[in-house]
Amino acid sequence: MKEIAALAVMAFAGSFVEVAFAQGFQPTRPIEVVVHTGPGGGSDLLARAVALMVEKEKLLPVRMQVVNKTGGGAAVAAAYLAEKKGDPNTIGFFTGVWLTSPLTSAEARVSLKDLTPVVRLVLEPAVIAVKTDAPYKTLADFVAAARQHPGQLKQSGGSITSRDNVVRQLLQKHTGARWAFISFPGGGERMAALLGGHVNMMVIEPAEAGEHIRAGNIRVLAQVSDRRLSGFPDVPTLKEAGFDVPAVPQVRGVVAPPGIPKENVAYWEDVFLKLTRSNSWRKFLDDNQFEDGYQNAAELARFYDEFTDRMREILKDAGIKTVR
Amino acid sequence: MEILAGLMQGFAVALQPANLLWCLVGVVLGTVVGIMPGLGPPATIAMLLPLTFLMNPAGAMIMLAGIYYGAKYGGSTTSILLNVPGESASVVTCLDGYQMARQGRAGAALGIAAIASFIAGTVGVLGLMLVAPPLAKVALSFSSPEYFALMALGLAMVVLLAGRSMVKALLAMLAGLWIAGIGTDLFSTTSRFTFGRMELLSGVDFVVVAIGVFAIAEVLANMEAREETRLLPVPKGLRNLLPTVQDLKDCRFAFANGSVVGFLIGVLPGAGSTIASFISYGLEKAVSRRRERFGTGVVEGVAAPEGVNNSETGGALVPLLTLGIPGSGTTAVLLAALVLWGFKPGPLFIPENPALFWGLVASMYIGNVMLLILNLPLVPAFAQVLRAPAFVLYPVILGISIVGVYSASGSLFDVALLAAFGLLGYVMRKLDYPAAPLILGLVLGGAMERALRQSLMMSEGSLSILVARPISAVMLSLALLILLIPLFTKVNAWRLRALDS
Repeated sequence: MKEIAALAVMAFAGSFVEVAFAQGFQPTRPIEVVVHTGPGGGSDLLARAVALMVEKEKLLPVRMQVVNKTGGGAAVAAAYLAEKKGDPNTIGFFTGVWLTSPLTSAEARVSLKDLTPVVRLVLEPAVIAVKTDAPYKTLADFVAAARQHPGQLKQSGGSITSRDNVVRQLLQKHTGARWAFISFPGGGERMAALLGGHVNMMVIEPAEAGEHIRAGNIRVLAQVSDRRLSGFPDVPTLKEAGFDVPAVPQVRGVVAPPGIPKENVAYWEDVFLKLTRSNSWRKFLDDNQFEDGYQNAAELARFYDEFTDRMREILKDAGIKTVR
Repeated sequence: MEILAGLMQGFAVALQPANLLWCLVGVVLGTVVGIMPGLGPPATIAMLLPLTFLMNPAGAMIMLAGIYYGAKYGGSTTSILLNVPGESASVVTCLDGYQMARQGRAGAALGIAAIASFIAGTVGVLGLMLVAPPLAKVALSFSSPEYFALMALGLAMVVLLAGRSMVKALLAMLAGLWIAGIGTDLFSTTSRFTFGRMELLSGVDFVVVAIGVFAIAEVLANMEAREETRLLPVPKGLRNLLPTVQDLKDCRFAFANGSVVGFLIGVLPGAGSTIASFISYGLEKAVSRRRERFGTGVVEGVAAPEGVNNSETGGALVPLLTLGIPGSGTTAVLLAALVLWGFKPGPLFIPENPALFWGLVASMYIGNVMLLILNLPLVPAFAQVLRAPAFVLYPVILGISIVGVYSASGSLFDVALLAAFGLLGYVMRKLDYPAAPLILGLVLGGAMERALRQSLMMSEGSLSILVARPISAVMLSLALLILLIPLFTKVNAWRLRALDS
């Protein structure tokens, strides 16, 4: 029932953006921005950077205040937003994990679909990296080696539901090669495992990779992106490298609690659209090698379904039990 | 020579009046944050990030680092006075620190904590300055098998934390290991022991357990002994509130132990200061001539862990600044700050930003001196807290504990867990089960399980990976040696008895 209502709201809001904003809602209290990571995590940093940019560009009459609700993938943050039903001064920053953790954990009862979609903001591409002294010059070299020694090559990454493993699963399915995926809880440990030569390959954020390339520590074989990134003009995308698999980006965007009137959604769509057109935003994307992923609420709701279906299939292929 | 020139350049940066001021602001804030349980440096630094955009990056970095190492000074205060660990790295400090306070030696404990912090903090900066790049390379040779061996070495310390009964200590440790298993398994995303509670998906926060079994259990036990409700003794006179020359002599080894262990373990991205503090405490006890008195209020039992968590900050900055690899929550936020200011943390950060690096190093020498000057006069003042009558002190301890847990997570579920662990701690105490092994199991359990499973994935299931690698083999042998200590003691006692008769 909630979903139908939310969809109706979104469909409606999508068509009346400008009109609704003209007469609409204005926040009156500081905006509470809920993120599911602790201080220093990806969502936390994006939320804090957005808060700074929104202030600099004077897009909001009030301040944005980041609140960390960590725990259970994103379950605690999602449940917190669900409890804030109808609160106009609260929003949350989501990532793909908000959609995947309800698939694998029975305890994660609140899905993104129970909340009000607002906008999608960022797509984070990635690059596939190996150490400089590794014998693989191209992704095809790596895959060939993996095929020759099934299960012996290793990739370091996060949880098995993370994008790193999704890329691996897709590549494995496409090529028939197999290699191991070793989970590390922290990004630092993953990188240390690659630099120390304890694993052979890693899917890594472009900005982080950039510095290690300059220092001559790692080599990038391919980029997980549909277009070549500005920082990596000479590195082929997955498709260009001959691997016709979807370039799964990490997505980040904004949701609101359930039961939010359509004019509020329209207001937020407008604020974030203005943000994505600002110079600070372009610089931010460039510094981090992110891609602009702006989608309005209606488009975002459709994206949820595509993403969830794809993840469910990938998890099934990986032999991971889904509970929903 | 190069280092000397760098350091000169660094002091030129750090001694600018504005940067001196930011250093002072940072260490004062850090001390306050450290004293308050719950609110830690990562959250504080994240909150202050927007402000730092108005500052020049050197001043901002100096201030944020000041918060980081300043918090380590403050962390001991509530551990010693109230048995409430102020920071996770100060849990071990409770063991002997609080006992010293009960014997009227709170001032000596606080003073030795400040002095150990100063010495080890300075050694940590020295290490950062002299050996950062080569040491970072060595740290990279550490992988999952080595981490497993390090955790095994830590876990072997249980025989040193045991009270009268080894069986009870082992049972408490197993309970800790079990609690560490609660939550979502990283490798399979399976939920373990969550009882359908979403709040348990991310596991039980170590701070909740530590405050519960130490502080809450302490209050409960004291309330029960109603007729004995007496004030904790606080001696009169400034001289009696500071460590004696004998205390300093007793801590000679602890100062060195804390400095070195903390720095070395700090450099490893996957370890952390809590583990380091347990290892240095164990090491201290293993080599001590008065081993049996540990846990009853010996001064080196405070100096070693407090030293560790300060030299650890210098160590933790090594992978951050030389490789752009954060090893803990705080260094992750510092990394984010560097990115937001427009720097590119990574292997080229130090060569390309020498003024910032050396300015930071120089400011850390200055900041440690500031902290010592700041903290020593506070010792007598803090010691007066214990003059408060029990009917004031205990509610205050309960209040600080609850607020601390709530402010760390913002979750009432954690407050309920705190109560549950308080009860557990009380029952354990009644039945004479030691609390420290429980905490040890909890701290090491998660990381140890992960390291073992990662190792086995690397070796395709063969256990030989754990002993085939030299560093890991050495550490595992050390662990075995420690496990045999009680046996040696028994043999020795038996030999002495035989000699007597």
